[in-house]
Amino acid sequence: MYDMKPLEDQWNKYRKKKLKPWYISFAVILFLIIILSSFLNIKKINLDWFDINFDTYVNKEKKVNLIRTSKIVMNGPLMKLEIEKKIVSMVNNNEVEKLSNILVDIPILDNIQKPINSSTQLRKKINMNIIESSSISAYKDVENRFRQSRDIDDALFLAKSYYKKGNYAKAEHWALETNKVDENIEESLLIFVKSKVKLGRKNEAIGILMSYVNKTDSIEAKNLLYKIKNDKF
Amino acid sequence: MKSRYSTAKNVFVDSIDIDDYIELNSSVTAYQQLQHSMDKPLKMILLFGKPGTGKSILLNRIQEKLKHQKEIHYFDTPAVNEKEFFHKLFKVLTEKDLPVNTEVNFSALVDFCKNLRGKREIIILLDEAQMYGSEMMEKIRLLSDTRAVKFVVSLHKTEDEDLIAKEHFQSRIWEVIELKNATKEDQTAYVHKKLLKKNLFEIANSIKDSDMKLIHRFTKGNYRECNKLLFTIFEICEYYDTNEPSKVDYRHIPKKIIEMAALKLGYIYV
Repeated sequence: MYDMKPLEDQWNKYRKKKLKPWYISFAVILFLIIILSSFLNIKKINLDWFDINFDTYVNKEKKVNLIRTSKIVMNGPLMKLEIEKKIVSMVNNNEVEKLSNILVDIPILDNIQKPINSSTQLRKKINMNIIESSSISAYKDVENRFRQSRDIDDALFLAKSYYKKGNYAKAEHWALETNKVDENIEESLLIFVKSKVKLGRKNEAIGILMSYVNKTDSIEAKNLLYKIKNDKF
Repeated sequence: MKSRYSTAKNVFVDSIDIDDYIELNSSVTAYQQLQHSMDKPLKMILLFGKPGTGKSILLNRIQEKLKHQKEIHYFDTPAVNEKEFFHKLFKVLTEKDLPVNTEVNFSALVDFCKNLRGKREIIILLDEAQMYGSEMMEKIRLLSDTRAVKFVVSLHKTEDEDLIAKEHFQSRIWEVIELKNATKEDQTAYVHKKLLKKNLFEIANSIKDSDMKLIHRFTKGNYRECNKLLFTIFEICEYYDTNEPSKVDYRHIPKKIIEMAALKLGYIYV
């Protein structure tokens, strides 16, 4: 009679050897399946990422629309700038929900806006932030953009910024550009007049301001006229 | 207690016992072919095939069947030397023992045979003829030329033996019978018939077609190898039946056991 133990051991080895190609084939197939499914997943993720980006983009646009709506509601240009800055930072901090809650009260104004401009609006806000950081190239960007879009916000912003910085010649120029696009913006006229005073052309400034006061009876314009005449400006 | 596999194991002890002869389609054909050739006026008949294809048992079978009709003699193992062979042949031809201290004169033997022509027809079945030398084979040919003695020469089929066949028999042999390895169907019938002959019906039934496929693959249809493999299979079954009965399925021979037997006999390797 045989000693069965060694024979059984031998058979176990034989079986392993026999099954080896099957295991290898199985492993290869499994590997290929994993690779294939991973590849498909990556593709899907890419598509999902695109969808998310697209959603984000759309959401941003919606938010920007709301931002713009609020901007229109706020009439004063300086106030508007402050609000814009605030809102942009809110967008950046993903606090848009709060904003949308605030702006729900003015739905009619949404319809007035053209959706195409919304992305441009977003870009403006971002660039305004850059401008606040006093980047010269950023000023150039806004100037170039104004030449293409003729957007009074850009021109007015440049006028105020240059005025604040003491560059009165440029402030005068951009106030004039603003006025060319929309002659009813009082702020641009006031910057224009103040710049002329700063540049030493007081009489010219008084003449322009007087004709404006006669036309509009603006209190702010009257106050400025009083200050210029009495050398209190 | 004796295992049921003990008897089954012994069924496959390799032997040329005529009682173990199993009639299969292929063996019946070979038998009829050989018998028909022996009836022809041929001097020599070559029976060849690979070892284990059933040459010896066929010669035994034909001798057993025809011994009462013809003068037929079976020389199983080759003589150690020429002297012994002619002693044996002398006894067959003369039906007398050679006197002590005498030797057979070959020329006298040939003359004796020539005198027998037409009176007697003697058939000598020479098994394992590949073991005879060329000189011996030449003398056998001379004896066959007397037409009183007809030789059925059984050879293993190898390249060398084919050469012997060419050299010694090419011009003289009129009939060549080749035995081949069994087909799966023949081998299945062989195994089942062998077991049923010993009334081992349940065990015969436990060897399924898939098992026979595996057995045929391992043994390449060779009867001797088949006997060896089945002997080993039943020996392993016997061991498990005695020591670890849980490892034996009486309804079916486990594939594991067939492979273990094949490993043991070197048909497969680790």
